[in-house]
Amino acid sequence: MVLSQENSSNINASANLSAEELIAQNLIKPKSESFINFLKRSLFELSNLKFALTSFVVNSLRRRYRRSVLGFAWSLLNPLTTMVVMTTVFSLLFHNNPKEFGIYIFTGILPWSFLLDSITGGSLSLVDAEGFLKKVYIPKLFFPLVIVSTEAVNFIFSLSSLMFLALALGMHLSFSLLTLPLAIAILYAFNLGSALFLAISTVYFRDLTHITRQLLQAFFYLVPICYPLNVVPPKYLFLFKLNPFYYFINLFRIIICDGHFPQAKDWLIPSAIAVIVLFMGFSLLKKTESDIIFRL
Amino acid sequence: MISDKVYIEIENAWLKFRIYKNRSPALKEAILSRFKPKPDIAEITEFDALKNINLSLRGGDRVGLVGLNGAGKSTLLKMIVGIYPPKYGNVHVRGKLTPLIELGTGFDAELSGRENIFLNGALLGRSYKQMKSLEQEIIDFSELGEFIDLPIKYYSSGMHGRLAFSIGTIVDPEILIVDEIFATGDAHFVNKATNRMKALFTNSQIVMLVSHDTQKIVDLCNRVLVLHKGEVINDGNPKEMVDFYLKEIVA
Repeated sequence: MVLSQENSSNINASANLSAEELIAQNLIKPKSESFINFLKRSLFELSNLKFALTSFVVNSLRRRYRRSVLGFAWSLLNPLTTMVVMTTVFSLLFHNNPKEFGIYIFTGILPWSFLLDSITGGSLSLVDAEGFLKKVYIPKLFFPLVIVSTEAVNFIFSLSSLMFLALALGMHLSFSLLTLPLAIAILYAFNLGSALFLAISTVYFRDLTHITRQLLQAFFYLVPICYPLNVVPPKYLFLFKLNPFYYFINLFRIIICDGHFPQAKDWLIPSAIAVIVLFMGFSLLKKTESDIIFRL
Repeated sequence: MISDKVYIEIENAWLKFRIYKNRSPALKEAILSRFKPKPDIAEITEFDALKNINLSLRGGDRVGLVGLNGAGKSTLLKMIVGIYPPKYGNVHVRGKLTPLIELGTGFDAELSGRENIFLNGALLGRSYKQMKSLEQEIIDFSELGEFIDLPIKYYSSGMHGRLAFSIGTIVDPEILIVDEIFATGDAHFVNKATNRMKALFTNSQIVMLVSHDTQKIVDLCNRVLVLHKGEVINDGNPKEMVDFYLKEIVA
């Protein structure tokens, strides 16, 4: 084998210099990449892992209900019990018709659980994946994506099962339900962006996962999930509209509960929020991608 | 067919590790430190895990890496695989790469051996179709028989190792990265696995091997790099390099 004599002499010559000194001498250049190229590369890397993604999602769903007698039925029963409790308590409190109010609550609770579980689960996804990340090369985006996709599947299952229940309770079918996939896609994008952003931030500040949990608990009561918006005094209404979560829940309410087609602004506001959050997530990923592994 | 293509090219690559006394500064401290007159310097220390690595590997290269513990051998392999991105410089890898660094990564103890074949294969970047066509071959090679449908938490460590080895080595790669792989299991399987490794070594375009067994390195490689404290301090003929390593560094 030809040994590159040239190379080894190079090494010896620069061995006494630090990396910073070599940069100063223009011997090595720090890398730079445009945002678009970064996105393209990330998506390309993920496309090679399509099968891994589906296996991870399927396995985590299976693991969740493994060995339980009712199995997947729990994805229906969990929100159902919450809904029954909430409906009983709050319809007594607000003197609402429990049937209508039940549907109102479930259209709030299900998207909220999707959001909550994606964000709290997602925020730990990179920290928990340390074992993988240090042994094989997997794009960082993979792990938040697995969590959010798992929750999305769970969400779709509970939503469709509860829809049958709602029909039994006297909800009427409306054509607006056809727009449901778009609403789910928007919420999915928002959850992915938040999960990605928090997953990376949590690598740097581990306390963040606890902070997120506490904040989301408070937000549960700040979003009109278990009470109708009309109990809020009009002068405080703007405070509720400043809350980004409100717009996502609202979208599902309009489609399922009211049975209307959402208006342009009902689509645009949550879409804009989702795009901004997704952009924040990817920007942070671009900035930290090659550093995360050293911080785990 | 061994080609003359350059498969791996590393230019002026540096890798820095950070060591945290306090591994992840809590948010509170991060905020407080802004008000502190001077930051705690001792909190983080950086050291060069790899210094100015320049390397160009062509088809046919069988490269052995020798060096003391902590010299950067495994780190160099992990940089090539993409786990550790270099702080400065470039690493280009052109070709299908199979890392045999830690076998059985991503094994899920709750899942059956069969399910783990797919999961582990997926992590190596393979498709469902490809794994479906390899499934039987892997099961046959691992000799797990009917145990394949049992959750792997009930496997003995030998069975576990056999399955991991079989999945990792079933496809001939272009670039083979090996970090101290020794097949586990009974004598019969070790024998079979050694033959499998030999076939992989012959069929791959490039092999990079880390081992403390210098005899193995001399037998299997045609080029050896000597690493010391993150630097490639010598590079050349296996016999000479191993002698150099044993005399200059180990002694």
